Amino acid sequence: MGFIIEEIIEKIGLKNPEHAAKLSKNLAGLEAEIYPASESFFQKYYAYLEKEGKTIDFGIDCYLHMCDDMLIQRHKFIETGKYTSTSFDEVEKRVYGNEAIMTYHMHGLVLGQFLWFEQFERFKFFKENLIKYFPSQGKYLEIGGGHGLYMLGALELLPTDTVFDLVDISQSSINLAKGVIDNSKVNYTLKNVFDISDEDKYDFFTMGEVLEHLEDPIAILKKLANLIGKTGKGYITTPINSPMIDHIYLFNNETDIREVFDKAGLSILTEKIVISEHISPKLANKFKVPIMYAAFVEQKK
Amino acid sequence: MEEQEILSQVVAIFKEELDNEEIELTMESTAKEVEDWDSLSHIHLMVAIEKHFKIRFTSTEISSFKNVGEMVETVKKRLG
Repeated sequence: MGFIIEEIIEKIGLKNPEHAAKLSKNLAGLEAEIYPASESFFQKYYAYLEKEGKTIDFGIDCYLHMCDDMLIQRHKFIETGKYTSTSFDEVEKRVYGNEAIMTYHMHGLVLGQFLWFEQFERFKFFKENLIKYFPSQGKYLEIGGGHGLYMLGALELLPTDTVFDLVDISQSSINLAKGVIDNSKVNYTLKNVFDISDEDKYDFFTMGEVLEHLEDPIAILKKLANLIGKTGKGYITTPINSPMIDHIYLFNNETDIREVFDKAGLSILTEKIVISEHISPKLANKFKVPIMYAAFVEQKK
Repeated sequence: MEEQEILSQVVAIFKEELDNEEIELTMESTAKEVEDWDSLSHIHLMVAIEKHFKIRFTSTEISSFKNVGEMVETVKKRLG
């Protein structure tokens, strides 16, 4: 066995053979690209787990627990056409305020970054384009650091004198990001992005998988459009038809997302859309399969 | 309702949901043997069966049905 991801899939197979088979099927043909790309991230994750006195078995249990939640949420979503939560307060009480749930959910998402090819495709898109949209020196902001993967990508690619700020409203999320990133160049702050002064400008922001957690995604996008000013750029990801325990805002298709960007005063520079299964858009629409969306944006001219 | 009657209604639901009139199911049929019955369509099929029979499956049941027979037996149990 060569790569850590192979060990993870094998261990998942011992606990849930059907799920491991599905992962292998979805990753088939992509192993040569994803497996090496995931190695340094999973090495960092293993090191973090070890520091915490845990092993990858803990991460796998978290991941499978999260997948169980996803099944329940998907069942309700297909039945009703809606996400189960409609308000931030509701999710804060049920999820963000519950340390145990937050822990397994966040660790589950860490594994998903490479076990799910659609997440990898978006990360690849990010890495391929970040340099193009970042100035020769500047300030980089990430909102909602989560698993730390995007910050690691930025640290790898951007100039060494870049200022790296990461803000998150969840201490659990910051702790995990800090542990996995393990880099003193990053300034981690427990803060709501709305509390950042409008005078405090950034050259680039990354906000992965945040919009769907909000009641009013336009408000945060307007704030970010203001923070980057006329010359800055941003990278945003959000899913379509993706029920999770903490998702509130439902995007039914990519048009919904584009409309929200437009209303917030953002224009799209380039975008990437990845269906989370190897199927046609028609079938994805019929079965409301999650679709992953990502875009580089700037203020509308 | 008898198992065979439930089975024939389940077959009709599968044909409708998977848009395939050729589908034939037995109590032993599994997802592997039925074209387009995969993890994508599975939840849709389960929700369609729930709505049709006015019952609810548990999430554990939804993720653990090994074949059509187990599903039919669960429907029968729920219908009392």
